[in-house]
Amino acid sequence: MEGFITTYGFLMVTMTLQAMLALSLYLPLMAGQLSLASPGFYALGGFVAAVMSKSVFGFTNQQVFPLPLVFVEMAVAAAICAVVAILIGVPALRLRGIYLALATIAFVEVVRVVALNLEITGQAIGIFGVPQPFSRSFDYMALTLPMLLLAIFFVYRLERSRVGRAFSALREDELAAAAMGINPTRYKVLAFVMGAVLAGIVGVVNAHLLNTWNTRQGTFDVAILVLAYVIIGGSRTFLGPVAGGLLLTALPEVLRAAAGIQGLPAPVAQFLQDGRLIIFGVLIAVGTLFFPQGLITPRMFRRWRAAHPQPAAARRKEAQA
Amino acid sequence: MRVKRVSALLSGMLALALGVSSIGAQSQDPVLIGIGVAQTSNVALLGQEQVIGAQIAEAYFNERGGINGRPIRLVFQDTAGDEAGAINAFQQLIAAGVVGIVGPTLSQQAFAADPLANEAGVPVIAPSNTARGIPQIGEFIARVSAPVAVVAPNAVRAALNINPDIQNVAVFYAQNDAFATSETGTFQETVRELGLNLIEPVQTFQTTDTDFSSQIATALASNPQLVIVSGLAADGGNLVKQLREFGYTGLIVGGNGLNTANIFPVCQALCDGIIIAQAYSYALDTEVNNTFREIYKEAQGKEPPQFSGQAFAAVQSFVEALIAIDNEVGLDSLSLPELRAALNAQLRSMTFDTPLGPISYTEEGEIVQEQFYVAQIQMEEDGLNGSFVFIPIGDEAEEAEPQATPSS
Repeated sequence: MEGFITTYGFLMVTMTLQAMLALSLYLPLMAGQLSLASPGFYALGGFVAAVMSKSVFGFTNQQVFPLPLVFVEMAVAAAICAVVAILIGVPALRLRGIYLALATIAFVEVVRVVALNLEITGQAIGIFGVPQPFSRSFDYMALTLPMLLLAIFFVYRLERSRVGRAFSALREDELAAAAMGINPTRYKVLAFVMGAVLAGIVGVVNAHLLNTWNTRQGTFDVAILVLAYVIIGGSRTFLGPVAGGLLLTALPEVLRAAAGIQGLPAPVAQFLQDGRLIIFGVLIAVGTLFFPQGLITPRMFRRWRAAHPQPAAARRKEAQA
Repeated sequence: MRVKRVSALLSGMLALALGVSSIGAQSQDPVLIGIGVAQTSNVALLGQEQVIGAQIAEAYFNERGGINGRPIRLVFQDTAGDEAGAINAFQQLIAAGVVGIVGPTLSQQAFAADPLANEAGVPVIAPSNTARGIPQIGEFIARVSAPVAVVAPNAVRAALNINPDIQNVAVFYAQNDAFATSETGTFQETVRELGLNLIEPVQTFQTTDTDFSSQIATALASNPQLVIVSGLAADGGNLVKQLREFGYTGLIVGGNGLNTANIFPVCQALCDGIIIAQAYSYALDTEVNNTFREIYKEAQGKEPPQFSGQAFAAVQSFVEALIAIDNEVGLDSLSLPELRAALNAQLRSMTFDTPLGPISYTEEGEIVQEQFYVAQIQMEEDGLNGSFVFIPIGDEAEEAEPQATPSS
């Protein structure tokens, strides 16, 4: 077990972080906005953490970085991401569908090019020797797992709140929602900002986890990958992106481990190792073909609820009868 | 639990040689050496050359009796091209019980993954990380790849040797590539140190660019006699091609990103004459390099590139240090953590006669390499095939003949 945790601790932490990143893309999607800006804010958050821990707080990677300072970085990253998200969200969210997606891709590129040209972000090499709050990768779990659960709980409650209902009304029909008195711009920007803040916070943790941060993080490739989490997992319920993020992050490493199973013929093991990214790609394609709504759909919940009526709901029904 | 697995996919005869040698010596468990380089992703072009170099080293040393009769076995884990991949691969290698790791391919990956190995007390030799700050990551980190600051200036000196009348120098670099940005810093310093006129502003491009006409027009307006390009194969090759098409006839120095036969299809006949500094020369006439070159040529049908030579030298450093430990105290008397620590110390206390020439490591883990080389691309008339021809560096270098022994 100890060996397993040492070997796969990093992977498990990455899984929780990627699940949160998927949620950050799901938030604007709740209001019907296909925004690929999450990786841009994720990159921004990472740079905030790397710069603050090294230059502002002045720690080196030989010292243990106090956990409270990570929370300070999160707060700063969240504030910066929120301001940037409002500034670009208000004009950008006038665009719809594919045009909004394009505009947000442009934002991701702008962040990358700006970071490439700034001294403070270390240009192409990036920032290295980011100090660690924990001595082992797995210990990050103490931070990221509660974060993930909190994010899940937040989105779960959000879906059932007035704001969440406004989001889904906007997603289903913007005109009708506006006619009902919902301010489309306000709610769309709100969803966009919430996604941006979550992505920024994930970036903060990841910069510490990776020891380094550079412009190769949070690129357009990441945007596509996170979109795949949401599409494969399911885009109609908050559990979809979480499941997608967890599964798709683990898959390449599971295939790598499968290649090491004793007794496999050498060519099979070799293919599992070298071809694992091919298998990964094929699975994504097959997944979208056979699960067009994603692995987890609201229908599954309805069926589950029909089979297991909740006591409270049953009692309410009885009362109505 | 997990199985330590030899990479079975080997080209042609190498596969046989390796298979036979590892089956033939089952009396003792082989010593495991980890190879964590990019076997997939867009960095795989470099990683594959490293895999080949390491595999040749494995076969070469096992044929010569391994570590006093005990064979070595390489354990491969693909890092892909990203930081998370490098961390995962390193974790797997450490768990597999390797005595040391050769990898990763990119400097940025090293900044992410090396701290883990250092924490676990596993010696790492970087086969191709040239950025500043790599050996300083920790006491267990060393590199066999000389930093750009040491290698690159030789190309400018060689250019001055060809044309002593150079005055104006135009510098181009790909600003989104980590290697190119650190390399261009070195080039610009060298130009200033040699008292040449660096044309301002320095021209930048992206590795994804295909059209360089505005940068070229700006630079050529200042009448350069030397152009220095730091980029990758595709963009660098295109830039060279367009420079020539715009009528530039002076000398061109290319960075290490252009140091591959992959640029031949890009600039074709116009590649002719590009000057590139080398940390490795296949022409080095020593026993170990001649054997290495022969095996490589037989399997690949071409001259070995720098990346393969460096990967070979990294594996060789581990093997020869292990032999020294075995002679002194015996490998069996040490537990794995002790062996890793002893190996790390041993690496820094001896000299290795590698295909790169005699090398050693400083206490910090930086390589001490005696010889560097400069090659010039010579294209055949059809413009499809070409070769790297080694040329003299200049006055200082000509005096330093191959037999130097490492100082410091």
